[in-house]
Amino acid sequence: MTNKIKNNIYVRVLIKLVLLFGIVFVVDFSIGHLLRYLYFSQQSGNLYRTTYSLEKTKSNLLIFGSSTANHEYSPRIFEDRLHITSYNTGRDGTSIFYQYAILKGVLKRYSPKMIVLNFDLEEFKKSPASYDRISSLLPYYKTHPEIRSIINMKSPEERIKLCSRIYPFNSMLFTILVGNTDFNKERRKDFQGFVPLQKMLNKELDSGYYPEYELDSNKIKIYRSFIHDCINANVKLYVVCSPFYNKLEKFPNSIILGQKIAHENNIRFFNFLNDTSIINYPSYFADRNHLNYKGAAIFSNKLIDKMINEEDDQSALAK
Amino acid sequence: MIFTSFNFLIFFPLVIIIYFILPEKWRWKFLLISSGYFYINIKPVYAILLLLVISTTYIFTRLIDATDSQERKKTFLLIDIILTLLPLFFFKYYNVVNEATFNLLEITHLRWPLPEISWLLPIGISYYTFMAIGYSIDVYNEEIPAEKNFGIVALFLSFFPLVLSGPIERAPNMLPQFKGKLIFNYYKLVKGLQWILWGYFMKLVVANRVGMYVNAIFNNINEHNGKSLFVATLLYPIEVYADLGGYSLIAIGCAKVMGIDVMQNFNRPFFATSMSDFWRRWHISLISWLTDYIYTPLAFHFRRFRIWGIVIALMITFILSGLWHGANLTFIVWGTMQGIFLSIEALTNKKKKAFVRKYNLLQKGWYILICSVFTYFLFAFSEIFGGASESVTAGFLTIKKIFTDFKGDVWYENPSMIIITSISIFILFVVEFKAEYYKGQFSFFGNRSLAIRFLSYAFLVIMILLIGVLDGGQFIYFQF
Amino acid sequence: MTSKEIIIEKLTSVFREVFNNDQITLSNEMTAKDVGSWDSLSHMLMIEKVENTFGLKFKLREINKLKNVGVLIDLIENKTTC
Repeated sequence: MTNKIKNNIYVRVLIKLVLLFGIVFVVDFSIGHLLRYLYFSQQSGNLYRTTYSLEKTKSNLLIFGSSTANHEYSPRIFEDRLHITSYNTGRDGTSIFYQYAILKGVLKRYSPKMIVLNFDLEEFKKSPASYDRISSLLPYYKTHPEIRSIINMKSPEERIKLCSRIYPFNSMLFTILVGNTDFNKERRKDFQGFVPLQKMLNKELDSGYYPEYELDSNKIKIYRSFIHDCINANVKLYVVCSPFYNKLEKFPNSIILGQKIAHENNIRFFNFLNDTSIINYPSYFADRNHLNYKGAAIFSNKLIDKMINEEDDQSALAK
Repeated sequence: MIFTSFNFLIFFPLVIIIYFILPEKWRWKFLLISSGYFYINIKPVYAILLLLVISTTYIFTRLIDATDSQERKKTFLLIDIILTLLPLFFFKYYNVVNEATFNLLEITHLRWPLPEISWLLPIGISYYTFMAIGYSIDVYNEEIPAEKNFGIVALFLSFFPLVLSGPIERAPNMLPQFKGKLIFNYYKLVKGLQWILWGYFMKLVVANRVGMYVNAIFNNINEHNGKSLFVATLLYPIEVYADLGGYSLIAIGCAKVMGIDVMQNFNRPFFATSMSDFWRRWHISLISWLTDYIYTPLAFHFRRFRIWGIVIALMITFILSGLWHGANLTFIVWGTMQGIFLSIEALTNKKKKAFVRKYNLLQKGWYILICSVFTYFLFAFSEIFGGASESVTAGFLTIKKIFTDFKGDVWYENPSMIIITSISIFILFVVEFKAEYYKGQFSFFGNRSLAIRFLSYAFLVIMILLIGVLDGGQFIYFQF
Repeated sequence: MTSKEIIIEKLTSVFREVFNNDQITLSNEMTAKDVGSWDSLSHMLMIEKVENTFGLKFKLREINKLKNVGVLIDLIENKTTC
C-alpha cells in the first residue's frame, strides 16, 4: 500500500513542492532577519533618520514634510531663537501618508510642544508613486501597530506580501549596507535631521501658472487627521508653504484647500511661496523646488519671525 | 487578471489542481470554463466581443469546408477576415482615421466631425484576432479541417495563458492538443514551472527595474541631457525584452504545466548577429504569423521583380507590423526602419557572405561580437520610435539631443538603484550567455543535483522579494 | 538520363547559384534547415529561378505544401510532363 503511495506521481510532486516551499521559507526567514538586524543597526542616513523620528526623538519642536522640509528648515536656528529642542523629520520622496505615520509614532511616545508641517505645491496630487513610496514604512509594520492602517493603504495585498521577512526591505539592500558604514555619516551630513543643499541656481525668475492636477481624497483625509491628532494632543501646529522659484499667478488647488482646512481648525497657515525677499535671489535656491543652505537659513529665520509675531499678536489679543 | 496580480497567483494553482483531479476527458472543457472566467474578470463587455469573433470564425470556417467551389471558399474567407478585423480596426484605429479624415476634409472646407471615442482597447484583441484569421486561412489552405466542435474553437481563441498577450499560436498546433489526450506529464510540469519562475524574474526584477529608470528619462525628454537619453535608449530594448519575453514565458510555462506545448516567443534576441537573425529571435510568434500570412503571399506575388520583390514584400510586412503595435505614426516609422534594415541586408547578402567566407570571420569571436553589438545598436535606435517616444517629433528630438547634447552627467535617482538594476541585468545576461554559447554546461535548472536545482529556484524567489518591483509596474504589451 | 535526373541536375545548379554555395548536393529529405543561405528571404528567389529554368508557373498553394526538396522535384516533374 505504501509503495503505491510512494510511486504515485502526484504525491512525489507534492512532496517536492513542500520541500521547495520549506527551503524558500527558511532562506527568506534567515535573510529577512539578517536584513532587519542590519537595518536597525544603522547609525546614519535616511533610513536611520526615519527610525529616529519614529522611535527616538524627544524634541519639543518637530519639523515634518518631504524633501522641501528636509532641506529648508534648520533646527539649530529654531533652537537658538526659540530656546526649544528641535528636530527635522523631513524625508525625500515622502507624502502626507509618511508624515502622518511619523506623527502617530511620535504622539504615541510624547506630545511635542510645536510642530511645523511643510505643505507642498503638489501636496494633494493624485499620484500612484505616493502609494508606492509608503514602502519606506514597511520595516516598521511589525513593531508599530499604530501605523499599520497607513501602510495598508499602499495596496490591498500588503498584508500577504508582508508574510515574507525579506519583503519589507525590498530595494533597500544596498542602502542598508552602506548605512552601516562610517563613511555614510559624512556622505550627506545632517544636522538634527536637516540636510543642507550646496547647489546654486543660475536661472532667471519666471512667472506663470502651475499646471493643474487631480486631487487625491485620501491625502486630504490624512491631512485632516494630521491636524486633528495635533489638536487632540495639545500640539501647536503651523502649516507652512516654503518659497518656490517661480512667481505664481495663481496658487494650485492643494494650497487653497490646505489653507481652508487649516483655518477651519484654527491652525496657522503661512504661505511663503511668492515671498519676494527670497525668490528674487536665485543664489538662495538649489533648484526650483528647494532652497540651499543659504536660503534655508534666511527662510528659517523669516518663519521664526512670523511665528513670534503671531504669538505677540495672540497675546495682545488675549489681553 | 494579469499574471503579476495576486488574483492570478491564487487562480492558477487552483485551476491546475482541479484540472488534474478531473478525469482526462473533461479537462479541455474545464479549461474553456476557466478561460471564460479569466477573461470575463477583465471586463464582461469585452468578453462579448471575443465571443463574436469566436462565432464568426467558427461559422465561416465551417462554411469554407462545406463548399467545394473555390470561388465560394474565397468569398467566405474574405468576408470572415473583414468581419474579424472590424472590431480591431475600430478600437485601434478609429480615432486616428477619424482625425486624419477630419484634417483632410478641413482642407476642402468640409466639416464633418465625428465624436472622438476614447474606449480602452479590449485586452488581447490584437492577439486573438490574428489567431482567428490565421485559423481561417489555414482552413482555406487545407492545412487543417474546420473544427466541428464550437467549444474547441472557443478554447483555442480564449485559452487563458495566451489570450492577453500571446504568443500568437496556430490552429494546427493547438487544436490537436486540445482534442487529444491531456495527461499529466511530470517532465512538462517541471519545465513549465521553471519557465514560469524565470518569467516572473524577468518581468518583476529586470523589466520593472530597468523600466523605472528608462521611463523616468523618456517621460521627461526636455529635462535630460543627451548622455542620459543615450543610456536610456540602450537600456530600453532590455526592458521590452524582459517585459514581453518574461510575460510570454509565464504564458508558455502555464500551458506546459497543463501538458500543452506552445511555441517559444523569444530566442535570446540580443545575441543576433544581423537584423535578419534578430527577427528570427524576437517576438517570434508575431513575425512568423506575418511571414506566413502576409510576407510569403506578397513575396510570391512580386517574385518576378526578384530581389526588389523581396524588398517590397519586406517593407509592406514590417510597416503592417508597426501598425499592429499601434495607430501612432511612430510605429509606422519604426516599421519602415525595420523594412529598410532587412532590405539592405537582403540586397547586400551575397557580397557579405563572400567577404565573411573569404576571411573566415565566422570563427572569429571579435567579429561575432561586433556584429551583435551593431545589431543591438540598430534595434535600440529604431526603438526610439518603437515605443520610447510618444510622437515622431519627440523621437527626432531625442536623437537630436543624443548627438548635440552629449555632455554632463548621466542621470540617476540614487546609487542603490543603479546597483540593483545592474545586478538584475547582469544575472539575465549571464544566464542567456551561458545558454547561447555553452549549451548543456553549467546547468542550474537542469542540474543533476536536486540541491542545486532547488537552491536555484530559491535564489530566484529571494531575488524577486529582495530587488523585484512588486507594485506599480504596468505591462507594456497590454495595450495591444 | 531520365527526366527526373535532368530535373535534379538543373535544380542543383539553381540551388548552387541562388544560395551561393558550390557544395550543395540535393537529397529528397533536404529542407531549408540544411542549407545556410536558404531562408524566407531567399526562398522566393529560388522559386522564381526554378520557374524560369523549367518554364513553369507555380501556385501559392503548391509552394506552401513544399515539405522538402523531394516534394519539389516531384512537383516539377508533374508540371513538366503534363
